[in-house]
Amino acid sequence: MLDFASKPGLLFVVATLLPLASFVLILVAFAIRTALRSSPEGSIGQQLYQASGGDVPSRWPAWLATAAIGLAFVCSATGFVWFLDDHKQIESLEEEARHGKASDRELAHEKLKELEAHWVGSIDWVRLGASDDPRQGLALQLGFRIDHLSAIMFLMVTLVATLIHLFSLGYMAEEKQLHVEDHQVHGEEGHYRRRGRFGRFFLFLSLFCFSMLNLVLADNLFQVFVSWELVGICSYLLIGFYFERSSASNAANKAFITNRIGDAGFVIGLMIVWTYFGTFNFQELFSRVRAPVQDSHGEKLDLAAQIVRGNVTGEGKGKKIIFDPQGPEVLLFPRQRGHFHAEWITPGGDQDVRDDPKERQFGHMPYWLLVAAGLGIFLGCVGKSAQFPLHVWLPDAMEGPTPVSALIHAATMVAAGVYLVGRCFPLFTAEVLLVIAYTGGITLFVAATIAVVMRDIKRVLAYSTVSQLGYMMLALGVGGWVAGLFHLLTHAFFKALLFLGSGAVIYGCHHEQDLLKMGGLYPKMKITALTMLMAVLAISGIPGFSGWYSKDVIVAQAMGFASVHPEHVLLFLLPLVTAGLTTFYMFRMWLLAFAGEPRDHHVYEHAHEAPGIMTGPLVVLAVFSVGVAWGWPFFSSAFPFIDSESSWLEHQLHHAQPDAVQASFGLNKAEWEAARDGRLSGQYFGKPPIGPELAELEKQKKERYWAEEYSHLAGNLALGVVIIGLVFAFALYYYRVLDPAEGEAQFPGIARFLTHKWYFDELYSALIVQPALLVSDWCKNIDTRCIDWLIDNSAAITVRVAEKDGRFDNRVIDGMVNLFATVAYGVGNWFRRWQTGYLRSYVLFLVLAAVGIFVILSYFINATG
Amino acid sequence: MQEYDLLLMSLVIFVPSLFAFGLLFFPRGYEEAMRWWTLAGTALTLGLSLCAFISFKATTLDNLTGRPADIRTRAQLEYRAAEADRLADRKGGPEQRTDKQNDDWVARRPWIEPFNIDYYLGTDGISMALVVMTTVLSFLAMIASWNITKFVRGYCILFLVLETGMLGVFLSLDFFLFFIFWEVMLLPMYFLIGVWGGPRREYAAIKFFLYTLLGGVFMLIVILAFYFTDIRDFKKDKPPDEQNLSKEAKERWYEPWSAEGTPKEAVHTFDLVLLAHVGREASKIIDSRDDSVLVRARKALAEEKDSNKQQILKEKIDRLTTKWGFFTSEFQIATFLLLFIGFAIKLPMVPFHTWLPDAHVEAPTPISMILAGVLLKMGGYGIIRIAWPICPWAAKELAWYVALFGIISMVYGAFTAMAQTDFKKLVAYSSVSHMGYVLLGVAVWPTENNQFWSWGMNGAMFQMIGHGVTSAGMFFLVGVIYDRAHHRNLNNFRGLYEPMPLYAGISAVIFFAAMGLPGMCGFVGEFMVVLATWNFSKAFAILAALTVILTAGYVLWTVQRVFLGTNPAYKGYRDIDLRELSCAIPLVVFSILLGVLPGLLLSWMEPSVTGLVDTLYRLTASAK
Repeated sequence: MLDFASKPGLLFVVATLLPLASFVLILVAFAIRTALRSSPEGSIGQQLYQASGGDVPSRWPAWLATAAIGLAFVCSATGFVWFLDDHKQIESLEEEARHGKASDRELAHEKLKELEAHWVGSIDWVRLGASDDPRQGLALQLGFRIDHLSAIMFLMVTLVATLIHLFSLGYMAEEKQLHVEDHQVHGEEGHYRRRGRFGRFFLFLSLFCFSMLNLVLADNLFQVFVSWELVGICSYLLIGFYFERSSASNAANKAFITNRIGDAGFVIGLMIVWTYFGTFNFQELFSRVRAPVQDSHGEKLDLAAQIVRGNVTGEGKGKKIIFDPQGPEVLLFPRQRGHFHAEWITPGGDQDVRDDPKERQFGHMPYWLLVAAGLGIFLGCVGKSAQFPLHVWLPDAMEGPTPVSALIHAATMVAAGVYLVGRCFPLFTAEVLLVIAYTGGITLFVAATIAVVMRDIKRVLAYSTVSQLGYMMLALGVGGWVAGLFHLLTHAFFKALLFLGSGAVIYGCHHEQDLLKMGGLYPKMKITALTMLMAVLAISGIPGFSGWYSKDVIVAQAMGFASVHPEHVLLFLLPLVTAGLTTFYMFRMWLLAFAGEPRDHHVYEHAHEAPGIMTGPLVVLAVFSVGVAWGWPFFSSAFPFIDSESSWLEHQLHHAQPDAVQASFGLNKAEWEAARDGRLSGQYFGKPPIGPELAELEKQKKERYWAEEYSHLAGNLALGVVIIGLVFAFALYYYRVLDPAEGEAQFPGIARFLTHKWYFDELYSALIVQPALLVSDWCKNIDTRCIDWLIDNSAAITVRVAEKDGRFDNRVIDGMVNLFATVAYGVGNWFRRWQTGYLRSYVLFLVLAAVGIFVILSYFINATG
Repeated sequence: MQEYDLLLMSLVIFVPSLFAFGLLFFPRGYEEAMRWWTLAGTALTLGLSLCAFISFKATTLDNLTGRPADIRTRAQLEYRAAEADRLADRKGGPEQRTDKQNDDWVARRPWIEPFNIDYYLGTDGISMALVVMTTVLSFLAMIASWNITKFVRGYCILFLVLETGMLGVFLSLDFFLFFIFWEVMLLPMYFLIGVWGGPRREYAAIKFFLYTLLGGVFMLIVILAFYFTDIRDFKKDKPPDEQNLSKEAKERWYEPWSAEGTPKEAVHTFDLVLLAHVGREASKIIDSRDDSVLVRARKALAEEKDSNKQQILKEKIDRLTTKWGFFTSEFQIATFLLLFIGFAIKLPMVPFHTWLPDAHVEAPTPISMILAGVLLKMGGYGIIRIAWPICPWAAKELAWYVALFGIISMVYGAFTAMAQTDFKKLVAYSSVSHMGYVLLGVAVWPTENNQFWSWGMNGAMFQMIGHGVTSAGMFFLVGVIYDRAHHRNLNNFRGLYEPMPLYAGISAVIFFAAMGLPGMCGFVGEFMVVLATWNFSKAFAILAALTVILTAGYVLWTVQRVFLGTNPAYKGYRDIDLRELSCAIPLVVFSILLGVLPGLLLSWMEPSVTGLVDTLYRLTASAK
């Protein structure tokens, strides 16, 4: 059934479905047990319920869920190794297909096709037939496509998720009790007591893992959207895990509804894409909107991987698009590419287009709609990745259990927005990318400033997450495709570690989250403190730690971008300054928690280290936080700690980078130099360029080139800022040279502004929530006061008319009836009945009206017919 | 056996009535037995409808050899009706139908011959889906009816008669028959609300009755207007010597524009299929297309030498150009508006919706389920089966306004739902919002590329079925909690999860399905409609996309107010019991199954819907 040999990509599908299977199993078992629970005392149902464990929360769901995700990790690891192996073959075959003998070429092409088919597959979910041929038509599909990015994401998600499942086995242990006291909810007598919910937690976690993996697996936007909503609902369910607390249920609602605002944008993007492309498949979309890189003879196109704009002239079959870089229309390439030459698409040329293109015809769409589609999809990412202005939900989401914060609200789900921006990169126009860059830039700064003043350890981390996600968005916006996704991966490990560490601290301190009540915890929980220190060093960007590799590339890329576009220098300054802020608030957190003297003795005395099942994952994550970005093999680079470009992970990501990045942001240094020397035998330049080609090449020195040119400068600058931040953190929170409280007293306005989180919540309440409630109140009033008023009154009028009519009956007609005496007496009696039920008189009116209209109509018809 | 499809469809319609009749013979005091009897009746109807469904699917869609396009053709009622008529005519009239016509799922017997009223039944993917939904929901609603203790016999009889009415509406192809069933369904509903309802039941019942009656009267006017249209050009006499005619001559004979075979007397009809055909011809005439009957008749007149035939043609042209006649735009628009308002009241569409919240709040739980699950769908069905095909020209002209009202219903319903404090009213307004999608999906009549319209129409149909599942589920769940708490005030619930975890879990599934969460039935219809909308109107599309935020808002807020938090007052509540479970579980299963595998429904519904879209689109597409 599952033929892995001919379709090893199915390994990833299996990895996705394993958590789903675990979810369904647990859900069905729960449903049955809950149904049995309510059966009457002494019945078979009740006996079965008691025999299967009774009210005591069962443990097997936890083990099942953990086993499922662990197995998923094994599957994805196997798949990844297989994929790398296949990829090596693909590369050599491509070489052969291009330069080999004619007979070998055929063979190589065939082999290539076969190998590529290993990693793709899809089925129809809904297909509606076309009018001429029902087998054709538009379809919503479910499918998978594995490339380096998704394979690595699979590894990351399954690994982090497995570790967090293990950690949760310890962290959620109190949910294994028959009765759990919730200290934050007050019942009738003291704290609220409820049943433990150990299994329920893992139930949702399994559903989440499935949804998240499905999101990464997807080869089309529709499937991404489905998973997008599903991870959203998992996030909702897990934020609201302690739903007795109103803060938790409010936070859950806030998270989901804020995400839905983003999703509305996403849906708009989907509608545009669907209307103009008729497909959601990534590859098909990209190949329609971006020019091919090379023609049928392997010659490079001048407009390779560009979005081709132009002016449309003519009507019907004579429609043409004349290329113009500023034109209002976009050329859409054919769905099926036949044999074609590079000269067909050249700057200043033209092309026949159709409004409703067939398989091999070109189409066109308005440029602004492509921008709108990009912005819509990006709005979805803004919601999911908690970017400004929709970042408000993430800090509140910390109401969920800490492992959830680590997995969903730090390492994986919130990074999905960044992942999707990376995936859809070829769809984004320059304007959209600039919006992405600025959104990221604003977010990373705003969030970092708030993180500086937060007292709750998890909220510091939440704002830090928002800020780091801003870095990733910024990177993608300024052309650092690899940089952004690279940071996503390194961030996943150190942020998961930070959250799990904070979880261990909270666990050890008996649910104390206030940093100001901690302090001096190092001797009590050494493993936690040390592993967290690793993560703090990583996120601060200390050389040699994983964060340093990725953050350096981002800052360098921002610098390269700013050097080409000096007007956008802010996009470089914001991440640079924030690098210092990051170091400051992260060390502030660590020092407040672990260093110095204990500030609250009650907390300190009861504090203890977490058990092995929790510290184990911490240690593993610490190893990854330090070394995940290192070169491999480790000493392949002469100076692994100084050469930030030696990262193995980064090189792997390079393989997945879409051509659109080069088209929009130029070649990087290595590519450029290779092209100049004619060394690069890849798909771009077959021979050394000469004369005009060289001049053309000079133009390719764009953002990406300068980013590398300046990488050392940028790295040193960033390091300087980091050291400043470090010095401040130690001065304030370790050596106490300066008193933070004094600082707050000096600038009360700023302090208040920051502790109120820039007043976003208040603003949204006034701008969105209250008006929405007001409008809904209006609508309700329109219904009861206007429409029903009208209906009721017209009914009342009808009744009154009927009464008048009745009186008319009484006086006039009955008067006549009296004249006719006895015979008419019965008739009069009959008529009197009309007065009693007004419903009937109303019916009478309706029927009379019907007959009237019918008479009129039939008159018209008969008069002439 | 002759025409078992006729037998099966008739049984589906009338078995509930037979069981209702049977109830008369139960001795007083055997309430429990009456309930079981009624349940058996609904179960038998459900079984029969499933037989009908399986057989319909096998004979009209599955066992066909040939190109997929043939399946599409065969899925069209109109095609099968025409074939059946031809076959029957050859044998000498509808009574002579043979076993050859067992598998066409159209069946006709003369009923009131002086007025050309037939007992005319037929089904395709559209009505079959609704029939099965109706029988399933009736069965489940009967399970939910167990705690009705007042006048059980009366309740059961009315319930069964109501089911007959609903099924008759979905299966009849004769407008008069349709109207009869429409009204048959009305009275039981009036009494079910008015006798078994809540405190303001009389107000609600009368409001419901008058609103629906008004719609019915509008429909009656249109029925009469259609009936008094002379359609003799479209229903020709048979040639006296059919065998001797050449093929061309035979074809010409039956063409509506030719003089041959035109009956001497006026012909009137209630036949919905025939009326749809005439309606399409009317559209062509109004658009003055070259292939319209009028243009071709004029051409024929110019070429005609025979003075008798010239006279016939002249009369024909007069009939087609009558002022205020069937073939004028004024008439089309007037009849369309009357039909549309009649159905829109039922749907319900803002601003004709205020009967719905009142009726729902006062109706007993099972009746609310039927009301939301089935009765609202009749509005949508009427639009798809009658208003659109018979008045296509007016529908096309007014499509934008229809879509506008769809959007208004969606947004207005969602906002109003958010402001409610009565649980049942909230669910009622959510129905208004969800049925707005149906209007929108039906109305996205494109100027080019009908593929998107097909997505809209299929989405609308799916939304009707999906909403049938979720709204019935939601009303049922409200009823469950009302039985325990005896109030429906959303602000007084809180914390129901702790005492009733299973109930809360089931509610979560149903409510999330209604919210349109992927993987559940609410998502599919909404998403298909929304995808279709951009091509029609960008502004509508954006509003439709924004509605998802409002929907999430009121659904989540409701879930929070009912289930989350703590509330010591409700600690002792018993969880949902076995009877209630047996009603809720099928709904949960359907809401997930349809959401995960929409193909289960679409695969056999789609050919009929898309075929309809194609037929209508062809009218306007090449007119340009």
